[in-house]
Amino acid sequence: MEIYKVLEIKKSVYENNDREADLLRQELKKEQTFLLNLMSSPGSGKTTTLLRTIEALKDELRIAILEADIDSDVDAHAVAKTGTRVIQLHTGGMCHLDAGMTRQGLEGIGTDQTDLVVLENVGNLVCPAEFDTGASKNAMILSVPEGDDKPLKYPLMFSLVDVLLINKIDVKEHFDFDLAVLRERVKKLNPNLVVIPISAKTGEGIGEWADWLRGAVKSWNQPE
Amino acid sequence: MHELGIVYEVIKIVDEFVIANDLTKVDKIILEIGQLSQTIPHFVEACYPAAVSDTPYQETKLEIIVLPARGECQLCHEIFNVVDHRKICPNCQGEDFSLISGREFNIKEVVAY
Repeated sequence: MEIYKVLEIKKSVYENNDREADLLRQELKKEQTFLLNLMSSPGSGKTTTLLRTIEALKDELRIAILEADIDSDVDAHAVAKTGTRVIQLHTGGMCHLDAGMTRQGLEGIGTDQTDLVVLENVGNLVCPAEFDTGASKNAMILSVPEGDDKPLKYPLMFSLVDVLLINKIDVKEHFDFDLAVLRERVKKLNPNLVVIPISAKTGEGIGEWADWLRGAVKSWNQPE
Repeated sequence: MHELGIVYEVIKIVDEFVIANDLTKVDKIILEIGQLSQTIPHFVEACYPAAVSDTPYQETKLEIIVLPARGECQLCHEIFNVVDHRKICPNCQGEDFSLISGREFNIKEVVAY
């Protein structure tokens, strides 16, 4: 008869990934490469915002893009047209990227001679929030048509990002979207969160966003 | 599906543990999931068979222990279940609390030989 024993593991499921993410972050810091993890729902204008960001910063920063998608390379094509280095990561059905996959992408594109890497995460507000990618900073885009109640529905995402872009602000008048209420809601979850209203279409707010990113890259490269 | 990726992560950790401890067979994996974890126990159970199919864990059973979401009231220090009381202290009706537990997602133990 087989004798089973109970063996205690007592380990968080996220522990391995958290460790890998920390290691990756340290390496990137040494290389002076800033990794921005960009998250949002599908259709919030992530790729368009990214194109605007590239346009605003390409003359002063060496930029590379990691596009994560469950399938397809539509977004990578749009980015490649700007002349920016881009690599498409297929998550193979997985709804998020973890630190291991991010590392593979970074190795694929090469991070020496790169100041800023933007990781366009899978469009989803739940899973990417739970897996640390090793990013220097985390950004999220919420678009006006999605509604100002999203912080109530996806609190984890809002509580861990460093900057929140409110996209499609040019169509605010057509939706019941209250910016003041939204600010109030996110402040409760994350008092230090920077909120920047933008329109990737008209270019409104892109200057302020580029300033934030420029500042974040600069402080990342300061010795501690 | 969100839970599937997480179950893969569980299997990966168990697998490392099995190798490190020279185990030959895992009869059962026991998880602890907090009430406020973004993972739903029911969906973990539902996708578990798919995650272990064609792996050495195909026959391994899964048990889930749900850990309560407990908060401590910042005003009167009463400890209460945050979900049951809808984030309001049952003692003083205060709305400010600090979370003590409920966000966990742990592999507690395995039954193996």
